[in-house]
Amino acid sequence: MSAFEPSLSYRRWRHLKDRLAKHGVAIGGVGVIVAITLIFFYLLLVVLPLFKPAEMEAGPSFSLTDAPQAIHYLTVDEYVEVGLAVDEAGRALFFSTADGHPLERIDIELPPGARVTALGKGDPAIEILALGLDNGQVVVVKPVYKISYPDDRRHITPTLEYPLGTDPIDLDEDGAPLRAVALQMGEEQATLAAVGESGQVFVANLAIEESFLGEGFSFEQENTVIEPDLDDIRYLLVSGPQTELYLANGDGNALLYDLRDPTEPELLQRLDLTPPGVRLTSLRFLTGSVSLMVGDSRGHIAQWFPVNERGRPRLVHVREFAEQDAAITDIAPEHGRRGFVAADAKGRLGVYYTTSERLLALAPVTDVPVAKVAVSPRADAALVLDAQGRLHVFRIHNEHPEISFKSLWGKVWYEGYSEPAHLWQSSAATTDFEPKFSLTPLALGTLKAAFYAMLVAVPLAIMGAIYTAYFMSPGLRRVVKPTIEIMEALPTVILGFLAGLWLAPYVEAHLPGIFASLLILPAGVLLFAYLWQRLPRTLRAHVPDGWEPLLLLPVLAALTALAMWLSYPMEELFFEGDMRNWLANDLGIPFDQRNAIVVGLAMGFAVIPTIFSITEDAIFQVPKHLTFGSLALGATPWQTLTRVVILTASPGIFSAVMIGLGRAVGETMIVLMATGNTPVMDWSPFQGMRTLSANIAVEMPESEVDSTHYRVLFLAALVLFLFTFAVNTAAEMVRQRLRKKYSSL
Amino acid sequence: MNDETANKPTLDRPATHAIDIANLQRGGERMDLAQEDIALKVENLRLWYGEKQALKGIDMDIPRTRVTAFIGPSGCGKSTLLRCFNRMNDLVDNVRIEGRILLDDRDIYDPALDVAELRRRVGMVFQKPNPFPKSIYENVAYGLRIQGINDRRILDEVVEKSLRRAALWDEVKDRLQDNALGLSGGQQQRLVIARAVAVEPEVLLLDEPASALDPISTLKIEELIYELKSNYTIVIVTHNMQQAARVSDYTAFMYMGELIEFGDTDGLFTNPKKKQTEDYITGRYG
Ligand SMILES: Nc1ncnc2c1ncn2[C@@H]1O[C@H](COP(=O)(O)OP(=O)(O)O)[C@@H](O)[C@H]1O
Ligand SMILES: [Mg+2]
Repeated sequence: MSAFEPSLSYRRWRHLKDRLAKHGVAIGGVGVIVAITLIFFYLLLVVLPLFKPAEMEAGPSFSLTDAPQAIHYLTVDEYVEVGLAVDEAGRALFFSTADGHPLERIDIELPPGARVTALGKGDPAIEILALGLDNGQVVVVKPVYKISYPDDRRHITPTLEYPLGTDPIDLDEDGAPLRAVALQMGEEQATLAAVGESGQVFVANLAIEESFLGEGFSFEQENTVIEPDLDDIRYLLVSGPQTELYLANGDGNALLYDLRDPTEPELLQRLDLTPPGVRLTSLRFLTGSVSLMVGDSRGHIAQWFPVNERGRPRLVHVREFAEQDAAITDIAPEHGRRGFVAADAKGRLGVYYTTSERLLALAPVTDVPVAKVAVSPRADAALVLDAQGRLHVFRIHNEHPEISFKSLWGKVWYEGYSEPAHLWQSSAATTDFEPKFSLTPLALGTLKAAFYAMLVAVPLAIMGAIYTAYFMSPGLRRVVKPTIEIMEALPTVILGFLAGLWLAPYVEAHLPGIFASLLILPAGVLLFAYLWQRLPRTLRAHVPDGWEPLLLLPVLAALTALAMWLSYPMEELFFEGDMRNWLANDLGIPFDQRNAIVVGLAMGFAVIPTIFSITEDAIFQVPKHLTFGSLALGATPWQTLTRVVILTASPGIFSAVMIGLGRAVGETMIVLMATGNTPVMDWSPFQGMRTLSANIAVEMPESEVDSTHYRVLFLAALVLFLFTFAVNTAAEMVRQRLRKKYSSL
Repeated sequence: MNDETANKPTLDRPATHAIDIANLQRGGERMDLAQEDIALKVENLRLWYGEKQALKGIDMDIPRTRVTAFIGPSGCGKSTLLRCFNRMNDLVDNVRIEGRILLDDRDIYDPALDVAELRRRVGMVFQKPNPFPKSIYENVAYGLRIQGINDRRILDEVVEKSLRRAALWDEVKDRLQDNALGLSGGQQQRLVIARAVAVEPEVLLLDEPASALDPISTLKIEELIYELKSNYTIVIVTHNMQQAARVSDYTAFMYMGELIEFGDTDGLFTNPKKKQTEDYITGRYG
């Protein structure tokens, strides 16, 4: 037995340590992978409901015991507990949606003997209706559901209110029956329109004034009569802003009147809402009363809305759903979103969303045609009246209809825009605002920020690294390399803060100087190097060998100062004293103070240390025997650098750039603070951007948990995650391949 | 000692690739430095690495189209002296060189001399094969490309000729575009020699070219040196005395930065004039 043979206990101990270390490392590695996978699946879990279709669940079905005559109007309350049916005689019946049991029955105050001949609905968001009477008058009513909590249980007491008073409003002063009526009501004015017995259209403009004392109000009414060149008008609608009046007949022929001056309506457009031979069977506004949903006898539903053309609205066909194959009998818009429900003559109900162009559900609800359909204010139920007078309640689970692949990435034509566009606008002050969730401008903003940062960082970092690793004297290198690497520890919030508050205004004020420095700095450095070479040897000998580059620091400072000093004269000379205005006015390039140049400089500064450090290592580690081999063949140092060193260091340089790119893509604070965060679709260096990461940081705190907005932000996070994952995987794959190629070095 | 044999030393060697050590050894053929045409002339060469003197006054003449071997114990300055011939020592920090080296009667340390051009004329092969991470073809063409020669016809021709000279053509002619790093060590070293001869240098410096190779590859390299010497002045550093005896015409023995003995190989090995040389040859040190 040798004296050096380890004892058994020591060998065991050694073995145990080895095993422990092995398992510890394995657990750590697997843990990281598991954590990343869990993050990925968590993101996916939050995001997936966005793409789920809607579900329709059949609820109770009943006939109203105290059946009114022909039902004109059907609606349901927010909690889907109380339904309302209004009949021809002007009776309002509130009933339980559980079994049709009558809860309250109110006779609407009508002039004695008057009958309801037409019914007009206000904006979907405001439950309000206008009853057109056979005496040429109109009464406006609004169902109100008062909620109380006796014994801690919700109790709903339905009643009716008269927003314009109980006195009927005269439309046809001759007292003839009204055939159709329309209503739009705002804070200060209301517009009523009606089709009279002989086809003329009456428009009443009401300027509402709240009285100073008490709760009362008064209004001034102004009536106008139009004689439209259109037979048999069946549909009549006043737009939400009360500036347009639409008239249409069953053939789909339609007229658009300008109501901006209510006393002088002007015919703007005559058009066909349906193709020849196709009947117009249903015409409703979407919520907001801007978009017209046109249901026809083929089962198609088309969306039209006015687009501004030379200051005048023009109705355009925006999109069409061709999903149902029987005549559309009724369309019910959702109250808060741009979705709607459409019923057809085959007894089916389709759930749609306009901007995402999705059909979320389509299911048969009765065996007979559907007569009317109403959607609850929260869009979670539909009340269906079939042709035999039976009512059916359907629960609808439809949380995120706004999202489709196309609405996220493609161009979407939104109301109020003259063409389809990529838009991100998640919230606004107004209530009838439609959120716009296009990730394209955010993804583009991310790439744009990264692009400008890389434009600044890559040349500087790589050239600096080449110089440091290949030409710099070892003494200087020992100072320079750690100094640049320590820059990486600088918190980006400080960089962002400086960029936003100091750099951005500075760049704006010295724009010509910034551009001039692109020329002045390299030229000046070259000139200095040339002059240095021409200096007598004795003078040059004062600088220790290899430390000459330090001389460039004052030179660079002086050159920068020169460029900035030249800025104002240049601005005077070339740009009429203001380059910003010159860009905007003469070239038509919009200018933001916090723009891509600022981001490029600030984020470039943040990324430089990463790229520099890895590149420097890669170049420094190029085996000396390769460099010597090249030099020994008669290559100059420059040839050796460009043909051998960089080639050999290329895997390292490549991963340096990729890691820098990954950092630039994920960087949040700098873009957050140094850009205006405007989600523009534009590569201009003079404009800002909004990146995925900054967007998440800005909007996550204000988004409601589990809302569509919230989930879309998670989707943005997932996109960012996949993006960095793809970049890093690609980088790693290329790196591995290159490494294999050079492995025997 | 007769001019005719001295001028055509390779003629009586059988043109076979089978390795026969006995045949590689010089039989009876006498070399005489005084008769030779001198390619490189070293005059009182002294070299310091910082404070430490590595060469202490070397004087020697390297004959043209002959193989000169440097032998000596490790650290005696063989590589340093070799690197002086193509000024690779310039790349070392804090190096100081005094004395002269004349290549064709021109001082290679003349400040006006183009170092890159000198290195083209004086090629060098290192101990460890150092092909570039490029294709076999590009490795050989490298020396031409850096001279600005990119004509495909010329390159093709030179690449083939050089690879043939380095006895590598048959092995790689079907995979010229493959990465050179895929070759074996011995092939890589021959490739590096091909790369060096492609630029048609006058002098070829070999610093222990076979020490990292297996015996078969070593013999191939030795055979190659034998073939190349008709065209090139070859200086080879080796720590292997058998190798020096086999491949060289002249041998220089160095010790502690000094040239102890320099003469024709047979004479130096069979009849060393200095005691240190004899001690070294007989294995008393090194
Ligand atoms: N780059 C260098 N820097 C400092 N000393 C060196 C360097 N290269 C060689 N030397 C020293 O010079 C002496 C000669 O080295 P070298 O020429 O490599 O010897 P050999 O090739 O004969 O083994 C050795 O003492 C070695 O330590
Ligand atoms: Mg050596």
